[in-house]
Amino acid sequence: MPTNRNTNYDCNQYQKPSIRDELEQRAWIQNPGLARRMARYRVNLKGNPTLGGGAHRHMRWQNRSLLTLGAVLMVLLVIRTETAIAAVQDWGLQLNSESGGHTELAIDTNIQLDITGLVSRVQITQRFTNHSSQWAEGLYRFPLPPGVAVDRLLIKVGDRLLEGEIQEKETARRIYQKARDSGQTATIVEQQRHHQFETRLANIGPGESIDITISYLQNVSYSNFSYHLRLPMTFTPSWEPPLATNPGLNKPHLIPADSTTGHTLKLHANLISTMEFAAIESHYHDVDIRQVEDGYQIKLLNPHEVTDRDFELSWTPMLKSHPSASLTTFNDGDFVYAQLMLAPPLADSIQPQAREVVLIIDTSGSMAGASLVQAKAALIHALSSLGEDDFFNLLQFNSVTGQLFEKSVPVTRTSLYMAKNFITGLDANGGTDMAPALTAALDMPEMPQLMRQVVFITDGAVGNETELLQMVAEDLGNSRMFTVAIGHAPNSWFMRKTAEIGRGSYIHIGKPDEVEEQMSRLWGRIQLPALTDICVEWGDSAEYYPEIIPDLYSGEPLWLLARLPSEPTIIGLCGKLNGMDWNLNINGWDAASGGTGGDNLAKLWARKKIESLEDALMFGADPELTQLEITETALDYGLLTRHTSLVAVDITPRRDGAELLTQSNIPSLLPAGSSSHIAGFPSTATGWISQLFLSLFVLLLATSMLLFSGSHLPMTKPSTSPGSDSNVTDTGQIPCNIKSQGSDSNAATCGQTPCNVQRI
Amino acid sequence: MQCSAHLSLTPVVMLRRHRVLAAVTLTAAIFLFDAIWIPVKAELAQHLLERSWLRTLAGEPDAKPWPWADTRAVAILEIPRLGRRIIVLEGSSGRNLAFGPTLVNSTSLEESKDRILSGHRDTHFSFLKDLHKGDLLRLHTSRAIRDYRVGWMEAVDSRQQQLVIDDSIDRLTLLTCYPFDATTTGGPMRWVVTALPET
Repeated sequence: MPTNRNTNYDCNQYQKPSIRDELEQRAWIQNPGLARRMARYRVNLKGNPTLGGGAHRHMRWQNRSLLTLGAVLMVLLVIRTETAIAAVQDWGLQLNSESGGHTELAIDTNIQLDITGLVSRVQITQRFTNHSSQWAEGLYRFPLPPGVAVDRLLIKVGDRLLEGEIQEKETARRIYQKARDSGQTATIVEQQRHHQFETRLANIGPGESIDITISYLQNVSYSNFSYHLRLPMTFTPSWEPPLATNPGLNKPHLIPADSTTGHTLKLHANLISTMEFAAIESHYHDVDIRQVEDGYQIKLLNPHEVTDRDFELSWTPMLKSHPSASLTTFNDGDFVYAQLMLAPPLADSIQPQAREVVLIIDTSGSMAGASLVQAKAALIHALSSLGEDDFFNLLQFNSVTGQLFEKSVPVTRTSLYMAKNFITGLDANGGTDMAPALTAALDMPEMPQLMRQVVFITDGAVGNETELLQMVAEDLGNSRMFTVAIGHAPNSWFMRKTAEIGRGSYIHIGKPDEVEEQMSRLWGRIQLPALTDICVEWGDSAEYYPEIIPDLYSGEPLWLLARLPSEPTIIGLCGKLNGMDWNLNINGWDAASGGTGGDNLAKLWARKKIESLEDALMFGADPELTQLEITETALDYGLLTRHTSLVAVDITPRRDGAELLTQSNIPSLLPAGSSSHIAGFPSTATGWISQLFLSLFVLLLATSMLLFSGSHLPMTKPSTSPGSDSNVTDTGQIPCNIKSQGSDSNAATCGQTPCNVQRI
Repeated sequence: MQCSAHLSLTPVVMLRRHRVLAAVTLTAAIFLFDAIWIPVKAELAQHLLERSWLRTLAGEPDAKPWPWADTRAVAILEIPRLGRRIIVLEGSSGRNLAFGPTLVNSTSLEESKDRILSGHRDTHFSFLKDLHKGDLLRLHTSRAIRDYRVGWMEAVDSRQQQLVIDDSIDRLTLLTCYPFDATTTGGPMRWVVTALPET
């Protein structure tokens, strides 16, 4: 074993290290990484806790505990401190008397659904009894599905009858104020933010029964080739018969006589249509389905239905190998309202057409952040859905417009690669100059045999909407325009109108996790155009909506509404099917009569009319005249709009006697009409304070560990391998001697470089 | 005299030996700077906006606070009791929210009656937690000054509720995230302050 005794240390208290240690130290300085690994390896291998190894492990233990502590603290910081979530409210009738309040369960709940096409009238009647022996004041609360408003109201308390009426807004407010000023219980409901209907009832006598009927129009949703209607049942008492859970006893449910008698749910649905259905299905309840002249009747089978789950009905139209149409009409004496449904043929009988897809993305400053991320994801999704024969192009715009290819190119690996690079490089900045981008997309030379579909992804934050819409209308040609609105508060009116004028469709992506679903929806829609360039001959002096008829796509029926002066004889349809001309005549006497739900058609038509009146306003119609027209239509058809409200007026005379003073008006202002805009809630927290504390904490932790460990590690690392003689001696590789610094500098260098190693 | 080896280490050597720790330190420092930058930017932007607002008042159409801005100042929200004055911006995007409270309505402020403003709960709208019912909110637009009184304050769940903008109702709504002291962002709760015009 070679040794070198020349090494000399003057630090009198410094223990003279063995040659092994010196070598270790030297190796440590030359290749710290390797030495550290070696040291750890040896300690692990030998399991020989020496002083040095112990110190090292001690250090690691400290590290570990510090890190654990840090991790725990971070987790604690991250755990949400949202505690004050709004209290859950009881739905139903809450009765407050002098002796306190309680919530009454509905004895009977009756639900009537009249489904006509894309809308259903939902009428719910609930009966309650004031079981207390005192006069009480009632508060009735009912949850509403998003986007609907109660437009009919009927309340019976004992023999008092209060009926809701649609009134012009100012009139409604005057009635409301008069009621309030005369000391009557009156409520103004900020209904539209709460998705609930709320009304107050005064002077409910002991033992008196209360019948409340509310009614609203709910849109039917369409997905996966089926229509769906979902009715939340949270408002009904979730009461279970005591013995219902005992299936072993083969006897009828025993229902105690007192409070639980009744509590039944009756549901009756009319599906009004001459369409043929492939399936009608109730997802959570057993139902009885019967075919009648004008459609189908659906009833709950179990008379003692337990109402702990939502009611969902879905129905699937039967598709044929050619487009089919069905007509429903309703005659109210003055006019005939007609609804025409066009069902697309089966997907197999449509020849896929090659398309030219032009994708436009808005990269203005307003798209910065989450919006751009979602838009990019939508673009990538769109690219991946392109077919082999399709052509595509990509445009972006902010203050300037950029175009990937001069004209559309076939879908190849190279072009897709270029497009993906283009998308990755996009950054949101600058203004929103939309017009040049639209012109560029629509004015590109049309490619023969290709149908151009423009997919327009933006938040629509523009000021010159009408100008842009006019431009789209003029430049559209044979193109179709599909809009994808991005962000929590896009300019949805503009986007919807662009799609309407562009004969395409509109989707909204509000959150990142909606990209996939919404884009698939859009793509499913536009991939297979079944019937294009559709025209409908409604006859003279018909008012019909939509005025611009979009194309018919695979799997998605098209609904058209019209008001006709008299019963129609023949309605002519034309269009292009698989590139060929297509015609169809429908006889008026083949139409289903709207029956009980026929009134829906009139209301639906009136809603469309009001919508188009409001659009006209955007295009410069006279505001006062339009308001007059809207109000008139709304009053005629009993619709809630910006200018009308629902007010309930007591139509029975007042009782005598001070004790029995009744409240005459229960007004309820429900301005959530079709005209209101709906926006999402923006994200409004930067989280900088927690980030500050968290980073400060981590910084301090890391710095202290750095300093703390700095005082131990060099000492421990070289000495972690005292049992490594054999390793060194075996290899015998000692390439150099170790020499100390001169003694003159030792006093000073003791604190700096007492063990300086030099190559000889 | 104790001659210990650690004293021989220069900071550079130390950093080399603890690369992971050094990286953590550096990252933490960057995050720290990033966190501090948020309120600094929020404050700084308000000053630039104040200047552009004066230009707007002087009649300059579309006065931009900085040349590349995609937004502009549309109003000043004043809360006399708290002595606060905040410039309100157009366009409720995440980027704009960093500079000031924004108008949620997609129509212009002058045209809308049902005005909704949103702001970050930990910068410009942190004062919302100090508001009381009946507090005066003064909104200076380029054409008029309107006074509103706080009528309701409530926490709502954005998963269950939507904002309805109904221009037939004259009111001012202030929106921010809730709870105010939540440590994480992106929670579903919102604090909604509704103020009605003073008559």
